[in-house]
Amino acid sequence: MKPYEFLDISGDAGIRSFGNTALELFLNAAHGMYNLIMDMESVEKSETIEVSVTHESAEGLLVAWLNELIFLFDAHGFIGKEIIINDFFFGKDITSSGPVYSISASLSGEHFDPGRHHGKLLLKAATYHNLNIRNEDGRWTAEIIFDI
Amino acid sequence: MIDKLRRIDETRLEVPLDYKKGMRVPGIIYVDSLLEKELELQAVDQVANVATLPGIVNCSTAMPDIHNGYGFPIGGVAAFDLKEGIISPGGVGYDINCGVRLLRSNLRKDEVIPRLKDLVDVLYREVPSGVGSKGKVRLGPDDEKRILIKGAVWALENNMGDPSDTERTESGGHIEGADPSLISGKAYERGRSQQGTLGSGNHFLEVQYVDEIYDEQAANALGLFTNQVTVMIHTGSRGFGHQVCTDFLEVMERAAAKYGIELYDRELACAPFHSSEAQDYLAAMRAAANYAWANRQCIMHWTREAFMKVFSSSPRALGMSLVYDVAHNIAKIEEHMIKGERRKLVVHRKGATRAFPPGHSELPVIYRHLGQPVLIPGDMGRASFVLLGTEKAMQETFGSTCHGAGRVLSRHQAIKMARGRKIWRELEDRGIIVRSAGRETLAEEMSDAYKDISAVVDVVHKAGLSKKVARLRPMGVVKG
Repeated sequence: MKPYEFLDISGDAGIRSFGNTALELFLNAAHGMYNLIMDMESVEKSETIEVSVTHESAEGLLVAWLNELIFLFDAHGFIGKEIIINDFFFGKDITSSGPVYSISASLSGEHFDPGRHHGKLLLKAATYHNLNIRNEDGRWTAEIIFDI
Repeated sequence: MIDKLRRIDETRLEVPLDYKKGMRVPGIIYVDSLLEKELELQAVDQVANVATLPGIVNCSTAMPDIHNGYGFPIGGVAAFDLKEGIISPGGVGYDINCGVRLLRSNLRKDEVIPRLKDLVDVLYREVPSGVGSKGKVRLGPDDEKRILIKGAVWALENNMGDPSDTERTESGGHIEGADPSLISGKAYERGRSQQGTLGSGNHFLEVQYVDEIYDEQAANALGLFTNQVTVMIHTGSRGFGHQVCTDFLEVMERAAAKYGIELYDRELACAPFHSSEAQDYLAAMRAAANYAWANRQCIMHWTREAFMKVFSSSPRALGMSLVYDVAHNIAKIEEHMIKGERRKLVVHRKGATRAFPPGHSELPVIYRHLGQPVLIPGDMGRASFVLLGTEKAMQETFGSTCHGAGRVLSRHQAIKMARGRKIWRELEDRGIIVRSAGRETLAEEMSDAYKDISAVVDVVHKAGLSKKVARLRPMGVVKG
């Protein structure tokens, strides 16, 4: 199974992410997005940072997760090459206020250096446009459109 | 569903009330039979979705450069009543106050051509652009707050321009009512290093020349003449504005649920105008709008410096004054006549340009007799236009007109079409010098990827929403 594919849409950029689990879907979505932003070959793992995102819906978590990674790149130039998901709650009732969707991950990568790295698309935001997360026969799929 | 559309006249299609359940007003799309062929079904659907929102006045309008957006279509205009209506970040877009400014000069095309390569190289060096680029202005937290309140006036206070610049900028280059305390830490972080940067994608800085004048008197009044060199700057509020939009989409989604507003699309998230959520968004959006006006002012300042270096003459001697600056992604409180009654409305323009008529009190004194200058950027190979606002726009579209060409090819299709071609060489053969930070940007942004801007402008001219003054042709292009 391929982890993700790029979507061809007029005016924007997007990816279709796949996974055998929801966790894998989120992981592949992040890698797919990084490959839209950057030629990842030249990126090295010289620094590790921790990321944590929570939301009250599955779609909301996916958008918030990708927006967090976009923020880290746009504000600080940080690009993650290796992503390790440490904690993943997907609709678990761990509080009295309803299900929780959350992700905590360690990103190993480095800061953008225009001399060494080849930037591709400047993604500004992950959107809810036509977004849905599906689980068909144990195969997870989601399409995400980015504003550029 | 497109069969349901009804042609009203040569330039207008109606999206009737029965197109979709829940529509409160009809939709009007300004397209002629030529551009009708390029209408996207989803964009028409978005015009109808906007018509379902509470408090919408008259109709949900779309300009001839209509295109699929998020929630609201690009090219959309929607006005809402302040009592019954809503405000929505989706009606403004992610790039808050994306807009265009036009700088004139006394130089003629033939004086610039021998130095064009130098000029484009210096502009490319002086104006940061592309993925991961950082601005030349270093901002402390207090500077950033000042930008959010003062907009382009902040740049003037830092010796980057003079008062005639802000006089010739929509809203005077800063809109009142911005509140920096409503801005998230993330937006501040994204904004810190991006002030004074062009960005990427369809944003550009172009050296152009006036190749055709349609209205001699108006062109004269705007300081434009045939073969004159001008500079157009197209950019917005960068990562700062995007973060504000991202932050408030979350706030608005909760607000829509809280106030019981039914949404056809998550990106239509909105709140009643007088709710605290809506007022907070408005104050944050205004801060982002001011960030964008400061951004275009900084970039214009460095453009003047680049000309000064290349032509060894002062910007004043070169006659480098601002013609005008317009926002094409913004929501504003404006007064409009609705069925004989003067009412305050919140007008959302997303990929649409304000086009106020002669005599309007919000126009600068120097242009009040003319009508508002409207600047329409085209693609890098074809043309851009200068138009003027009209009374008809005031009556039909809340004083609004189109904003650009609109894409026809996806980025991937464009890259495929450009394979084996050297876009920069094709442009250079036609006398257009381009510099771009991104390897793929030129392919994605080539002329073939866009609708013909002339067809779009002809529709708004024929419909009377604005009238053509001059056409500008590109000579030198800086892309992100």
